[in-house]
Amino acid sequence: MNTFRNEPLLELRRGTVRDEALAALSALDAKLPLDVPMLIGEDVVHGQVFASVDPSAPATVVANAHAATAQHVADAITAAERGQRTWSQRPASERAAALSRAAGILRSRRFELAALAVREAGKPWAEADGDVAEAIDFLEYYAQGALALDGGRPLIQMPGERNAMRYVARGITGVIAPWNFPLAIAAGMVSAALATGNAVILKPAEQAPACAKAVVDALHAGGVPLEALSFLPGGDEPGKALVADPRIHTIVFTGSCAAGLNILQTANTFVPGQRHIKKVIAEMGGKNAVIVDSDADLDDVVPGLLKSAFAFGGQKCSAASRALIHKAVADELAERLAGAISTLRVGPAADFATDVPPVIDIAAQQRIQGYIDSAKPLAQGDSRDDGFYVAPTLFQGLPTDHKVIQEEIFGPVLSLETVESVEHACELVDQSAFALTGGLFSRSPRTIEYVTERTPVGNLYVNREITGAMVGRQPFGGGRLSGTGPKAGGPDYLLQFVEARAVSENTVRHGLVV
Amino acid sequence: MAATTQERPLDLERPIKEIGTDLAARMPRPRLVSTARVEQRMTELLMKDPALRAALFRFVDVRPACATPADLIRHLHEFLADAESKTAQRATGITGRPLARRPLAAVAGAGVKRMAQQFIVGEDAKDALPEITKLWRGGVETTVDLLGEATVSETEADVYMRRCEETLRALAGAATKPGQVNLSVKVSALTPLLRPTAPERGIEGARPRLEHLLRVAKEVGAHLHVDMESFDTREAITALTLDLLSQPEFADGPSAGIVLQAYLVDSPEHLDELLAWAERTPRTHPFVIRLVKGAYWDHEVVQAAQNGWAPPVFTDRRECDRNFEALSRRLIDATPTVKVAIASHNLRSISHAAAYADARGVGNDDLEFQILRGLGDDTQAAIAATGRQVRAYCPVGDLVAGMAYLVRRLLENTANDSFLAAHASGTDTAELLEAP
Ligand SMILES: Cc1cc2nc3c(=O)[nH]c(=O)nc-3n(C[C@H](O)[C@H](O)[C@H](O)COP(=O)(O)OP(=O)(O)OC[C@H]3O[C@@H](n4cnc5c(N)ncnc54)[C@H](O)[C@@H]3O)c2cc1C
Repeated sequence: MNTFRNEPLLELRRGTVRDEALAALSALDAKLPLDVPMLIGEDVVHGQVFASVDPSAPATVVANAHAATAQHVADAITAAERGQRTWSQRPASERAAALSRAAGILRSRRFELAALAVREAGKPWAEADGDVAEAIDFLEYYAQGALALDGGRPLIQMPGERNAMRYVARGITGVIAPWNFPLAIAAGMVSAALATGNAVILKPAEQAPACAKAVVDALHAGGVPLEALSFLPGGDEPGKALVADPRIHTIVFTGSCAAGLNILQTANTFVPGQRHIKKVIAEMGGKNAVIVDSDADLDDVVPGLLKSAFAFGGQKCSAASRALIHKAVADELAERLAGAISTLRVGPAADFATDVPPVIDIAAQQRIQGYIDSAKPLAQGDSRDDGFYVAPTLFQGLPTDHKVIQEEIFGPVLSLETVESVEHACELVDQSAFALTGGLFSRSPRTIEYVTERTPVGNLYVNREITGAMVGRQPFGGGRLSGTGPKAGGPDYLLQFVEARAVSENTVRHGLVV
Repeated sequence: MAATTQERPLDLERPIKEIGTDLAARMPRPRLVSTARVEQRMTELLMKDPALRAALFRFVDVRPACATPADLIRHLHEFLADAESKTAQRATGITGRPLARRPLAAVAGAGVKRMAQQFIVGEDAKDALPEITKLWRGGVETTVDLLGEATVSETEADVYMRRCEETLRALAGAATKPGQVNLSVKVSALTPLLRPTAPERGIEGARPRLEHLLRVAKEVGAHLHVDMESFDTREAITALTLDLLSQPEFADGPSAGIVLQAYLVDSPEHLDELLAWAERTPRTHPFVIRLVKGAYWDHEVVQAAQNGWAPPVFTDRRECDRNFEALSRRLIDATPTVKVAIASHNLRSISHAAAYADARGVGNDDLEFQILRGLGDDTQAAIAATGRQVRAYCPVGDLVAGMAYLVRRLLENTANDSFLAAHASGTDTAELLEAP
């Protein structure tokens, strides 16, 4: 039954594969800008146009998207009410087959979609390709998971009594997606809801509507009815309207902590006419720390930290922003990291030689620069001014209450703190309001055990980089203010999207069990 | 070249058996890695008990990072406790568990250091000279390899380059005949910029340093050999080496070389590329191709599995060995355009190359055998005794670097798939010499 295998990554270390990627990029460039209309039920709807641009070359418009208004949201939900009835009544196997066909479509557009993520989200090739592969993984994994869930769960049976429990769809689901995994996270949240029989309205990130549209197109082409999946590009307005509408049952969100808390509040505000309690599934960022013990292998720590903190400009919820280093190795590690940071090449996402791409937009650039300007760096990499670039930056020894240490920066910034011991490091981690990912470099089995017990984070990575969770291998998501705790890409995720119904039948007739 | 071999297939099996049996007879009783009884016993235990083997490797690995003896003992105990619980779970626990502990404890402190020293000829060039000149006097050539930490910054790359230069000069000062000085270098130590998806960055990063070392080698009359590393870096290492050696300034020296890894499925095509380059690039000094199986087999297999790729290496031991033999023949046929170094501890692989070279009339001027110091000492002595040219690869470095090197060698050579392991566990010579 469980035949899931992660989609192979492109073998970009081979020149021929890189050539194919670059050819796909030129083919895409010839088509830019893409037109990204709203898809509301059966209708293709146009509205006020806004642009998504290439963060590596902001003069390039990647897509012209059509912004949804509150009215469009209401229309989409009306269509979804029909969609909910038809889609939830389809057999689970049929729904799974549609998702699997959609995965096949993404697979066949592999290079093209990676190129799109390179352009629209400024993701370097390896990251962009990982995004496509993960989108495929989510579709396949949740398709299989929904099939498994369809059988319900075994219950205790008594003579004369037949008990059954099965799972049913919750109802219309609003999905609000982020730009940093513009294909994968959109695909994951949408497909989990669809697989379990819910109609979906997707509001993609303003910065990456074309990527999300590619996922929606694949799902429609794979057999998801138009009215079961609507697509509403835009900014705050459609997002807010979606969360507030009483007809929405479930809201699935990945994004900032502030936005997540806001959504929770709105969703919990009861609207007259509403006949259910809304459920919010939220993944809201972190302030992730890597602990380095005195027995760590620094040859592994340096590349591990560089990758965790600076790949994709630190714009992953899982990225490292603090390193808590045992005092015995703190000086040596700081010196080696300071030397290593200048080996990072800052450049356009499309360039295979790039280590650190630009950040997503000018607002992010200014915000991150504000943090960088707030203290004196230990070392800094290059920057450039022909895109939304920020220099990768290393801080050391800032006071614990400094905003660089306390707040989520979501950029290429890493601060080093010296600790007395692993216990001390664990205390610092425990003081944080976030608990998403964490890292530990240690060669002591007892220390690894201790930190595993002691840490509150949702994903702990030992002796490796702390990013790059794989579907089915590293179910992803954290606690505290990092989210409501569902593990995306894990065996329990789909349970968030269903309600359980138990049926107990009396099988006794005239005193006989029939 | 290859065509001649096919026209008249040689019967190599007889001479291979003869050469191999002769070499084996010249070797002391088979043993692995070490001479001391306790270490030999430990090796036997390790090969029987994977959990214990893992524990020891983890211990050796962490050894240099332990500041105090107490710290060291703590780690050892943790690794052993883990190993014991795993062995217990497998329910096939090896006999005499306390006995297993004793030899381990015996090597815990000085023992591991002593083992590392068996592979390392000294901390630096000066320290290593007595050992190296001793080998020279015994008719064994050497190539020195400087061990070090991973290179993560430009400064570290500069430091490594300077160590290489100092070593070349120190060896040259002690050399007693031309061509004796020979250094193996790793491109990954000469630049922090190797990137699998952008070979040009590593090439540009390492170019000035490798160029400088080639100049020094030319000046002091040394041979510079560029080691091959993981598949991720092969394109950069090959392109950089060939490009530099194509420069007019290096047409008349130094003698230089590169490595071909027979475990790579596409190694025959890689050899095509190397030979085509050698044909069109006339040099007054030798271009040496060292044929190896490849030292990163597990890494390549694991990385490919994790990413969903077809492994770039053979996964069938015999296919790898057959390919090694096919490449040996092609290389020997390509002499004297290239000089050939057969680097292996596998008696069958060695005997095959020797038999084919004899049949082709290729001698010591164009062919040598290479072994790793500490692992292939007996093999080295046996080959040298038969009058064939042999060179020992001699790592130089401090304890930290030595440990990492030791772990890799031990892992490789106590693997069930290894020739040395089979040899040490007493498989008979005839079986070891069978065609793969
Ligand atoms: C002088 C010298 C220089 C060297 N320089 C380099 C270098 O620059 N780069 C480098 O990569 N290595 C180098 N090596 C190491 C070499 O590649 C081998 O790892 C080592 O010599 C062991 O091979 P063997 O022929 O001696 O032993 P064998 O026991 O005959 O072969 C072991 C080797 O077979 C291969 N193997 C193991 N299992 C399998 C399997 N299941 N399927 C297919 N193949 C398998 C692996 O490569 C393994 O190392 C060098 C070795 C020597 C002696």
